[in-house]
Amino acid sequence: MSSFENILVGNGITKRFGGMTAVSNVSFDLRKGEILGLIGPNGAGKTTLFNCVSGFLKADEGTFTFEGKVINRFNPDKICHLGLGRTFQAAKNFPDMSMRENVRMGALFGQRDMTYAEAERLTDETIAFVGLEKYAGVAVPDMPLAMQKRIEVARALATKPKVIMLDEMMAGLNPAEVSEAMDLVRKVRDSGITVLMIEHVMKAIMSICDRIIVLHHGELIAEGPPQEIANNPHVIEVYLGGEV
Amino acid sequence: MDTFLLILINGCAMGSVYALMAMGLSTQYGVARILNISHGEFIVLAAFITFVVHTRTGIHPLICLLIACPLVFAISFLLHITLFKRVKKISPNMGVFEGNAILVSFGIYFIVQNMIQSSMGSAPHSFPFMMYPYTVGGVNIAASSVFVMVIAAIICVAYSVFLSQTRLGKSIRAAAQDPQAASLLGVKINRIMAICFGIGGLLAACAGVLITMREPFSSVSGIGYTTIAIIIVVLGGLGSVKGAILGGFIMGIAGYAISTFVDSVFMISAFYMIIMVLLVVRPKGLMGR
Repeated sequence: MSSFENILVGNGITKRFGGMTAVSNVSFDLRKGEILGLIGPNGAGKTTLFNCVSGFLKADEGTFTFEGKVINRFNPDKICHLGLGRTFQAAKNFPDMSMRENVRMGALFGQRDMTYAEAERLTDETIAFVGLEKYAGVAVPDMPLAMQKRIEVARALATKPKVIMLDEMMAGLNPAEVSEAMDLVRKVRDSGITVLMIEHVMKAIMSICDRIIVLHHGELIAEGPPQEIANNPHVIEVYLGGEV
Repeated sequence: MDTFLLILINGCAMGSVYALMAMGLSTQYGVARILNISHGEFIVLAAFITFVVHTRTGIHPLICLLIACPLVFAISFLLHITLFKRVKKISPNMGVFEGNAILVSFGIYFIVQNMIQSSMGSAPHSFPFMMYPYTVGGVNIAASSVFVMVIAAIICVAYSVFLSQTRLGKSIRAAAQDPQAASLLGVKINRIMAICFGIGGLLAACAGVLITMREPFSSVSGIGYTTIAIIIVVLGGLGSVKGAILGGFIMGIAGYAISTFVDSVFMISAFYMIIMVLLVVRPKGLMGR
């Protein structure tokens, strides 16, 4: 296992809630520069795994290694400063702040020793990158869902991450918005950021991911390129229900 | 007409102090998730600091802000990083923590109250301050009321500016709105919680210093202040500075009206009536989301 290639490695991750094992002995690697899809039925443990990586939950067993450094015991702010950004399934924007203020929070606090002037510049740059310029003056709760999810992406990008974890960024979007979101994910990857994404929209996951890992009842049941996953009998049985 | 003007002005003077109390409680609950039952004790502590310093040395009571505020901030901050941080760590989730934190703050309430009581007794304390009247619109208003109102307004404005303009203030607002998202953006959430608990104490100290200029207080006044602060926070909307200010003025004026037309003993029960009506009509508070 080369530490240059694998930017984030999970090794034997287990997380229990009381008697329920949400994530069970999961190992995966995230290769620098790729888009890795994380799929699985509801309750498979995908978001729990995200929560463990980003420091909200502490894994009971196993280690996460980010750029060669074990990050299990770090708090979320430290993990952010190391270069791991994420979004949430239900957009967690700050409702009392404008779109721009939301993004600026990421710019202002995401890196140590950030000056105001630098944060302002980064905020404008990030807003332009995700294409939200025309919403500058709109209150966040009044924006369409697709745009609210985009703010979250912008806010995470403003922290200048090396890895971004997207939690169901495309859920609830219409087909046109999904394809715009797919373009954004590709653009993020092309800018040099490694992407780990949880997604249910199969069209998106199959066309943009380099590799996919599949969780079922907290266990990793498959790993491989999209075509291989789509034809994996076990995956079809537990997850795709024979559709593909 | 004169009576109404009197109620309005005196009510606003009291309301401005209530607003400070409520802003403090709201900051502590809104960010640190601690419904601090001992809030009023720190108001009383600051009041006694002011009383002792002013009556012994003759220093202007307003200068006592410079003593009481840093002291109560430090006590509150230390309480958070020692006691509450530990309680948070051993609580399985924030809901359990909130319950445990109320119990802990009850303990602090008794300890601080007993300490003040054993050294200062239970008798009401007061000192003469700006006793001369101003004549406004044909009614005489105590100069102290105007003074207190102006100082409280300055503190409220300064706090709002702090929240909206400074880096620390911005991180506090973010933490109040969504602590998880804030921490993900690099905000040190545990540190912010401790600072907010400290700021709550600091605002309690401001209220305590100003109270000495207006009305007598005693070592057992604290729980009454806490009760009023809780009511105002519910009325104004949790975590809203504007709500705390608006709620403070409403309660200040309502309190004065009740004391004037009915009897001051009914004040708290009347406050609770207002809250009960509000919880039915608008449960999120006047300015709540």
